[in-house]
Amino acid sequence: MPSRIVRPLDKGEKAVNLHVGGPLIGFAGKTIPVPFTSLMYAQGVTDKTTVFGSLHTTSLLFGVVQTDIGACQNIYYNDSLKLGFSVAPAINMAYDTWEGNFKLWPQLDVNAYWDIKPQKSFVYVGVDNWFELSGTKAHNQSQKNRWIINPQIGFTHVRNKWNYNIEGKWLTPYLKNTPNVVDYKGISGKGAVGIYISFTRKF
Amino acid sequence: MKNVILLIIIASLLTSCFKLDDNLFNPDSEIVEYKLDNYTGEQDFVLDASYAIPSNLINVFTLNSQAPSESVSTTIYAIYIGDVATINTDTVIMYCHGNKWHMDFYWQRAKLLAHSGGKNNYGVMMVDYRGYGLSEGKPSEDGMYADVDAALNWLKQNGLSNDRLIMYGFSLGTAPVCELTAKPRSLTPSKLILEAPYASVAVMVQDAAVLGMPSSFVTGLSIDNAEEIKSVNQPLMWIHGEDDSFLNINTHGQVVYDNHQGVYKEAHKINGADHSEVPLMFGFQNYCSALDLFIKK
Repeated sequence: MPSRIVRPLDKGEKAVNLHVGGPLIGFAGKTIPVPFTSLMYAQGVTDKTTVFGSLHTTSLLFGVVQTDIGACQNIYYNDSLKLGFSVAPAINMAYDTWEGNFKLWPQLDVNAYWDIKPQKSFVYVGVDNWFELSGTKAHNQSQKNRWIINPQIGFTHVRNKWNYNIEGKWLTPYLKNTPNVVDYKGISGKGAVGIYISFTRKF
Repeated sequence: MKNVILLIIIASLLTSCFKLDDNLFNPDSEIVEYKLDNYTGEQDFVLDASYAIPSNLINVFTLNSQAPSESVSTTIYAIYIGDVATINTDTVIMYCHGNKWHMDFYWQRAKLLAHSGGKNNYGVMMVDYRGYGLSEGKPSEDGMYADVDAALNWLKQNGLSNDRLIMYGFSLGTAPVCELTAKPRSLTPSKLILEAPYASVAVMVQDAAVLGMPSSFVTGLSIDNAEEIKSVNQPLMWIHGEDDSFLNINTHGQVVYDNHQGVYKEAHKINGADHSEVPLMFGFQNYCSALDLFIKK
């Protein structure tokens, strides 16, 4: 999924967001993004803090209730440079209605953003971090990937009522993407490139 | 907004039936006949004339297969390489093919097995799982196990005993081999050969997700060779390409091999071999010799 909130909303501002996209894979001879989708609701608590929660709609189609809940905090903003930094810790949770399995993993999104026009569009670069809490995998094998790092770059086009966002991620750029049952499309055989677009309606 | 989200949740839960189970199976059911040596479609390799099978030793026929949960049987196609009249004294390799297409694609591999240790030395049984080739039905995990057991039952009816049955699985085919050895039905094999085995669907999902996601998030399949092999006491031969780009030799094959606690096991890691290149990169003669030595051991 893309960064949920990069630049916090104004105090009291509300937003609903739909995202589409995921890592690029080879499928039926073509390269496509995995069609992940999610809906998110966000609300500005202060001018520097926005809370959000989401529902992963593609997962729902598989009988899995998945959500990520977190907050974005602006930690620095330079008025003259129009440069800001934000962090967004979140908790991801997923529960499958078939066998009752549950998975929880924390996430920390760290971004730097530049306002292109005051209060308007912005570009950002950052790192999306996932944390695996379990030290073991299936068959009691050791889980070596406890901290998963995904660099990202994005652009948000801001309009009065709508924001339009495109983001590219390089998921796990330090891991070879073969051998794997999924034909991930990465860079130089490493990781997977993710493409995400999202639409945000502000209230 | 609350109502909209609630509606989406309820609607999705009521209609959620998406699973990636079908992606494990890659059948081709468009063929109208089995062409065997005359098959000109894509193949991993084609053997020379010295590996030819006399036509009187090629038996193509149908079987009725019925999973325990089914009320009606499914007609599947089988090929037996060998003399049916001597099954009661022959050693037979039950070859369980991979997830691709149909038996024509695997015909060259079956011929290699028949010629291990000498010309037409072993009987070889192969079926197209339901939904593959000319076999009726739709592929499923339970159906696949029933299809292989239908072949074993046919062999038993023709005189094969447990001590002369060798089970060989390639890739997807390692699932029925492990399942029907750990939980025998018609026959219990005396030895197992696993080429490029899955550890489990759990490993497939975790390799793909990096995070330790439960496999039930995306699939209802329960293939778990790595656990089933723990209860297998029969000798095991494991063959895996070191450059397997589909099933990781370390996260899949090695785990299965390590979990086997039976009386004997041997491993052949084939340098430079990708998932479907093991016989080719091993060298046909080396491959056949290794199989024969293991079977005769």
